[in-house]
This record gives sequence, C-alpha cells and structure tokens, in this order.
Amino acid sequence: MFNLIRRDVILQKRLLLTFIPFIAFFIIMDSHPALIFLVASIFIPFNAYGYDEKAETNILLNSLPYTRREIIASRYLGAIIYMILAIGVTSLALFALDKSFTMTDIAIGGGLFLLFSAFTFPLFHIFKPGNITTVVLIGFILLAGVVPPIVMFFAEHLTAITDFIVNVPTTYLYWGAAAIILVAYTVSWGVTTTIYQRKAF
Amino acid sequence: MQIIIFNSSKEPIYEQITNQIKSSILAGELKEGDVIPSMRKLAKDLHISVITTKRAYEELEKAGFIYSIVGKGSFVAEQNLEMIREKKLKVIEEQLSMVIANSREIGLSTEELQQLLNILSEE
Amino acid sequence: MENVVELKNVTKKFKGFSVENIDLQVKKGFVTGFIGANGAGKSTTIKMIMNLLKPDTGEIKIFGLDYQTHEKEIKERIGFVYDGNVFFEGLNLKDIKRIVAPAYKHWDDTLFEQFVDQFELPLNKAIKTFSKGMQMKASLAIALSHHAELIIMDEPTAGLDPIFRRELLNLLQEFMVDGNRTIFFSTHITTDLDRIADYIAFLQRGELVFNQSIHDVAENYALVKGRVELLDRDTEKAFVHIHRAPTGFEALTNNVNAVNNTFGNSVVIERASLEDIMYYMKGRESYV
Repeated sequence: MFNLIRRDVILQKRLLLTFIPFIAFFIIMDSHPALIFLVASIFIPFNAYGYDEKAETNILLNSLPYTRREIIASRYLGAIIYMILAIGVTSLALFALDKSFTMTDIAIGGGLFLLFSAFTFPLFHIFKPGNITTVVLIGFILLAGVVPPIVMFFAEHLTAITDFIVNVPTTYLYWGAAAIILVAYTVSWGVTTTIYQRKAF
Repeated sequence: MQIIIFNSSKEPIYEQITNQIKSSILAGELKEGDVIPSMRKLAKDLHISVITTKRAYEELEKAGFIYSIVGKGSFVAEQNLEMIREKKLKVIEEQLSMVIANSREIGLSTEELQQLLNILSEE
Repeated sequence: MENVVELKNVTKKFKGFSVENIDLQVKKGFVTGFIGANGAGKSTTIKMIMNLLKPDTGEIKIFGLDYQTHEKEIKERIGFVYDGNVFFEGLNLKDIKRIVAPAYKHWDDTLFEQFVDQFELPLNKAIKTFSKGMQMKASLAIALSHHAELIIMDEPTAGLDPIFRRELLNLLQEFMVDGNRTIFFSTHITTDLDRIADYIAFLQRGELVFNQSIHDVAENYALVKGRVELLDRDTEKAFVHIHRAPTGFEALTNNVNAVNNTFGNSVVIERASLEDIMYYMKGRESYV
C-alpha cells in the first residue's frame, strides 16, 4: 500500500522541481494564504490522476498484486499525506518569504482541498480517460467561481441561516465543518471503491 | 547422448526420439544405469515441446528401455533377454555386412561364403 | 494432472461481441498456446484470467484459488506480458523497477539485473524510446524477476523480428526446465507454437473449439485430398469443412480414423498444420 503512495513521487520526480516555483509564484502574487495551501495540496494528487487516467496504468496496477480496494485507498490516503507534506513545505516557503499566515488559513486550505477531492475523485472513474482533465478543470472553476457567489447570495438573502451561523460559536462551526468534510471524504472513498471495483480494463 | 530431429520427416518427433535412444541402448552407447537427461532438459536442448519428450520417455519406459525415479531422473534399464538378443543380432548383422563387403573385394561369391561359414560352424 | 488455470462455463457479453461458455484448463508444468483469429476473444479471455474483466457468469480459479478472496496471493505468483507497453512510458527502466519491485514479496534484484544484462537493456532511457522488441524484453525481464509460477502473455511475439522471436522461445524453454512452471500465451503466429507448445487452445468467435495436446491435434486433425466423386451426403460427415475445385476436393477432418474407414486408400491424408485448422474452421462458419 505504501508502495502505491510512494510511486507518485517517482512518477512526478521532474514535476516536483516545479513545485517550489509554483508556490512561490502564488506567494509573490500575494494570494490569500488559504488559497496557496489549497493549490499546493492539489499539486501531487491531481497530477497523479493525470497519469492514472491512462488505461495502461490501470492494467498495470491491477495486474500487480494489489486489490482494487487498495488502489483506491492509496489514492485517498495518499491525498492526505501529500496534503500534509505540501502544507509543511508551503508554510516553510511562507516563513522564508516573510508572509504571515494563521492556523485558520491552513485549516481552510486543507478543508477545501479535501472537499474538492471528495467531489472530484469519483468523477475520475466515471468519465472516460481523456475527458478527465477537462472535468477537473471545470470542477475547479465551478468551485472557485460559482461557489463564492452562491455563498454570498445565501449570506445576503437567507439571513435566517446566516444569522444562525453567525450566532453559533466559532469552535462549533469549525468542528461542524470538519465533521462534514470528514463524512464527505469517507463517503466519496466508499463510492469510488464501489465504482472502481466494477470497472473493466 | 546425440539425438537428431528431422522436422520434415513423416515420422513423429517423439518416435524419432524413442528410436534413436533405443538404438543407442542396443548399440551399447548407453549402458545400464546410465543417466539420461530429464525430459524438460531434453526438450529445451532439442527445441521441442515438453509433452513430446514426455511421450517419448513414456514409450521407452513402457518398452522397458528406461526407468524413472521421481526427483532423481531417468536411467537406462537392465535389458531383458529378448532385447539383448535383438542387440546381439544387430551386432551380428553389422559384422556379417563387413564380411560380405570384404568377400566382394576379393570376388568371393555368396555360395563360397556360405560354404566357408558351414565349414567353420562344424568345427 | 493439476490445473493452474480453470475456467468453468465462463461467459462475458459486450455489445455485438461475446465470449461464451468457455471451459478451459491450463495444465501445470506445460506451455499452452492460445490461438484464434483477431477478434475471437483471446484478449478478453486473458483479461478475465487476470481479473481485469469480470465474467458475467461462470467461475475462474487460478492455482485453485478465486479472485474474491485471494487476489493478492494469485497475482503474486503470476508474471504478465501484454501486447502493448503498460509501463509509464516517460519513465526509465530503473524507475519502473522501483515502482514494480516493491509490489512483489519475492522480487529478485539479482535475477532482474541478469535479464537486463542478457537483453542489453538501458536502465536510464525512457521506455517510450525503446523499440517494440526492447519494450517486449523489458516487460519480460519484469515478468520473470519475481519467481512467478505462471506466465501469462498476450501476443508476446507480435511485431517482433524472427531472431528475437527465436530468442524469446529459447528463454521460455529455459524457464520451463523447472517443472513447476506454466506458460499460457496467445498468438496468431502458429509457427511459434510448433516449437514449444504442449497444448493448444483454439478460440473462434468467442467459443472454445478445442483444448488438446499437440499430439491429439496431430492425430485427430488432417487434410484429406481426393476426387470429387467420392463425396456424398454420407461421406461428407467425416469432414469439418470441404473446399471443392474442378481438380478435386481438399477437406479438413477432425476424425482421421473415420476418414480411413470410409475412404481407405482412395484419398490422400496429410498432416494439418495449425494454420490449416484455423483456416478451414473459419470456412466452416461462412459455409453453414
């Protein structure tokens, strides 16, 4: 299982060299730290899916002594591990460039990443290879472009809900969000496993 | 052990192998207790399938020319009387052909040769 | 005799194509050649044996185990070689080994290095720069380096030059000297099989026509040639398919004894090659 997670590093050896400049670019552009954490986390897992959309990769992995359950588990666990590593590296980069950030930024960036993963990972196995990158791109634009206005809309017009949220103590809010993300991620994991087990290569 | 396979021969390959091993045994080139290569090694060396050498060895075993011990390999079996007779006959045939060839060289007719044989036999 | 692969009544249906009611046994310690025209269902069958595809109905057992409960144990003992390159093409052989090797409990680095030397494979060049033959050698080096008991290959010789094909066959024969090993491979180059196959499984339009030892095939099947007048409704029964020409008929039989009994010396009986068998069998379908 660990081997499956480690293979992403071997595969993306060269790409990883661009990781630091990639983050540095966002930092210099003075992006919001939470966004930087999000983008940094996405880097490895989604590049890995770029490889996995090839049918040959699935034929290879499924011919090796791995179960389909393990292959999917490595994706979901790998995403968390790489997220933690990315957050670590990004924090160091922010320190080095003398930018301030808070634990909340990390929590928001990481939370959004997990939520985004929860929604997109199953899609990788539903759509045909070749369409996946498009799907992810659209997914990302939707998340980045459509969700905030919707949230704003709710904030302005459904004051009952926003009032409720505002009145809930912040710690509860964070715990609630964490719980929702956790549930979404776990459900997504289960769904992807089921889809993947039925696939033919 | 030398075996030569004729791929274009009408005779099946396993038969070519049995016949050639048989003649090696009858000619005394392979002696009782001699180890013969495993069927898998032989298949590899002859570039033929394992099932072909397997069949050849099975036929040789049935005919009593060889025996196999699991895990040890195959060996040339002790020959029974009939086989020894067959073997001797083969030797005699060879020697007689030489006698005939020698006789021809000095123009000895077959009848004269037979007379000679009779005289020698009565001694 | 022990079966390493066992398919029982396996059916898999696709739109416009299906593999139906396959009963196939692959015997331990032997080489089974899997033949059939393009599109007969060979790759589908191999994918089901590798659990890349699941059959609609029927049972598949490898080493007597099934995939539901023993997937890892089974694949641990299989070496696979596919027609195309399945390895990450941007990577070099060293990195591919780094990804593949840890997957196997019994990976043998020394053995792998030996094959790399023997095949003269570069370790630091991307796989995509390899020729077809070199890619094949690389796949083979990987397939043979974890002490697999069963080697499954889908069209391993397709696109290879005759010299390398011969080298490959030698290598496989070397592999078979250990009697616990088994090879199952599909091909449509039937001359490859004359040299190393012990059993022939013949698939046609998704159905298994036969799975027999090469001796049984040679003893049952034959080409028969004779005068057209000899044929009538009764005598034709002895044949699988008949080609008629003004000069006489040529037919394939799967029962040489019956032909001998019916025609005696009035016909010529010749050995049928696998190609002959495939060709006449195909004819049978368009004929019926």
